[in-house]
Amino acid sequence: MAVPLKYNLRSLRVRWRTTVATTLGVALVVAVFVMVMSLDRGMRSTYINTGDERNVLVLRKGSTAESSSQVSRDEARRIRYVPGVARNAAGEPIASAEIIVLALLERVGGGSANVQVRGIGPIGRELRPSVQIVEGRMFEPGRRECIVSQKIAERFKHCRVGETFRSGKTEMHVAGIFDAKRTAYESEIWMDADECREVFKRDFYGSVLLRPVSVSAAEDIAERLHKDKTLNVKVVTETAYYREQTKSAGLFQFLASFLAVIMSIGAAFSAMNTMYAAVGARTREIGTLRVLGYRRREIYISILIESILLSLIGGVVGCVLSLPMNGLATGTMSQTTFAEVAFEFRITGELLAKGLVFALVMGVLGGLLPARLAARKPVLDALRAV
Amino acid sequence: MTITGFVLRNACRNKRRLILTVLSVSISLFLLTILLTALKLMVEPPTTEQASLRIVARHRVSLANVLPEKYQYRIERMPGVEYCSKFTWFGGIYIDEASSNFAQFACDPERIFRIFPEAIVDPRQEEEFVKEKTACIVGRKVAERFGWKVGDRITLLGQLWPCDLELVVRGFYHSEGLDETLVFFHHDYFDELLGKRGIVGTFWIKVTNADVIPGLIDRIDAAFRNTDAETKTETERAFQLGFISMIGNVKLFIGSICTVIVFTMLLVTASTMSMAIRERLREISVLKALGFTGVMIFGLILAESCGLALTGGVLGCFGAKVLAETLDVYKLSKGFLPMFPVTAEILTAGMLVALGLGVISSLAPAYTSLRTSVVTGLKELD
Repeated sequence: MAVPLKYNLRSLRVRWRTTVATTLGVALVVAVFVMVMSLDRGMRSTYINTGDERNVLVLRKGSTAESSSQVSRDEARRIRYVPGVARNAAGEPIASAEIIVLALLERVGGGSANVQVRGIGPIGRELRPSVQIVEGRMFEPGRRECIVSQKIAERFKHCRVGETFRSGKTEMHVAGIFDAKRTAYESEIWMDADECREVFKRDFYGSVLLRPVSVSAAEDIAERLHKDKTLNVKVVTETAYYREQTKSAGLFQFLASFLAVIMSIGAAFSAMNTMYAAVGARTREIGTLRVLGYRRREIYISILIESILLSLIGGVVGCVLSLPMNGLATGTMSQTTFAEVAFEFRITGELLAKGLVFALVMGVLGGLLPARLAARKPVLDALRAV
Repeated sequence: MTITGFVLRNACRNKRRLILTVLSVSISLFLLTILLTALKLMVEPPTTEQASLRIVARHRVSLANVLPEKYQYRIERMPGVEYCSKFTWFGGIYIDEASSNFAQFACDPERIFRIFPEAIVDPRQEEEFVKEKTACIVGRKVAERFGWKVGDRITLLGQLWPCDLELVVRGFYHSEGLDETLVFFHHDYFDELLGKRGIVGTFWIKVTNADVIPGLIDRIDAAFRNTDAETKTETERAFQLGFISMIGNVKLFIGSICTVIVFTMLLVTASTMSMAIRERLREISVLKALGFTGVMIFGLILAESCGLALTGGVLGCFGAKVLAETLDVYKLSKGFLPMFPVTAEILTAGMLVALGLGVISSLAPAYTSLRTSVVTGLKELD
């Protein structure tokens, strides 16, 4: 027969002061873990959401990022007209030669950061139908106009519709704001590719994004371009390219595990302390339980359950504490492009579950030794205790 | 029995609790010390005395834009300039991406170690380096990491630049304050590989004395105003800090984690102290009956609580320092952290936190014990 759970719950309530202190300790550890991991999740999901299965990206061989890739104008033209590229209603190939440059902009609230400016071809938006203009209108080429993502508009100065920001000697007018639906484009400013090359003095494009007519056509295009000795390019699917970029999130994962491991050791010690005190104060009660017929193992389990309860309450509180962070926008500098990456804290069910498991582990670690002590107490000594 | 002895005996009466509390505090302070060091590295990177004599000129738009090399001749002739070197970040891949987190710079070989006198090179090695076009001088730490010897060939695949470097290691530098993981090579060689385009990332300038800096910065920027490539010139320090500010709100992020840690520690010590004193209410009443004043009893509790917290502090903070000094942080972090200096300043901050912890933790139990009247206290069973 197991010791009733009510016994544990009541004794947690009787010692409410230490219960609250220990629970809060565990809660804070869980909250920190969940929050740092949610940064990692947010950054990852931004990249994983980006890209269309049907699109392929052509980069210079050896480049790992669009921003460091170079494709000459001649190459770009040849790639656009490679057989197998889908055509739109007007009969033009659905392909966009693009370039990425960086512009140093001032953050709202001080400081500055590099923001990725993407020059897109006339077809560029057709390739990314999920991107919607939510305010203002599309830019018009040749008028020094651009459209800015919502996240960048919120985080940087002079990026609202109708405003003008300077990059070097050029003034850029913001014609519209776009919603990129939680993709990597949320960290970008878009303008016309050729105008972008002119303003930022580049005589080459960075990459070509194109839509093959079918999956097999995509393979043919890749083979044809890889074989062509006069082209020094590699072909990847757009989704694969963005999956590869998730590496930048690795730092948060490392930080989260490092913090979590060390902080949880501290919290487990404190749980252990509490449980030792709980066992110590109840020596007589434990003796009574033994006399009533409860066996050593049952007492052991009961104390362990109490410790787990203690830390699980902490875990739940920690998860609740971390929830307000969900969806909060933030940004950091990408390790590969040196440009601002905007993303959100994303707290998923899986993360919360991880946080609870984490609390459970702390409870078990904290409870094992005190439970053993309680179970081993000789009955007579225990009863004699004052 | 002396007062100290009394406090010590009391603290040690429940050894298990004492050890657990001290350990838990020391682990938290260990973490705090490490985070504070990381924060300091990011917010206020280490600098050397010579750095205050260096300024950097770059393209006004961003670091990704380049300047024409001919600017060097104009800058060199300006009063106050002692040396000026082309300085272009290559950012190539060595073996694979994971092992490429060391910076490589194309520079003017004969000037670079005049501009960075804190990088100490064997003069014979420097001479070899200047003579040979594909030679490079590498930092001590990065050389140790990959086991490079003089004469070794290293290949760096261009990422940003459409060319690959084939370099020969001709020497090493070591330094007290400068990052020891850099690779310096000839700008001429780089320019040749690019097809003589005559472009430069930044110019690093050493000035004759610090007083000329403000005037010189204005003069350089004015000289290239209204050209295709306007410059932005700033001190090396400002340049570094500008780079760091791009990482975003790290200060707030790490700062809030530190606060949480301190708060958690407070919970642990405060609850331990409350437990310890509650068990002893009876004894404290005896002390009061014997004529100990409230202040003295508060002193006893304070001493015990501070002793506990400070022991944890010494273990945690100095543990972090010893660990940072004995472990090869550079290798362990796979090149991410070239150095990890736990400074005296940070140790002091850690110990102050421990002291504060001790004081605050003693308040609640002291209040309880002082409020309890002698009679109620004596009635208390345990």
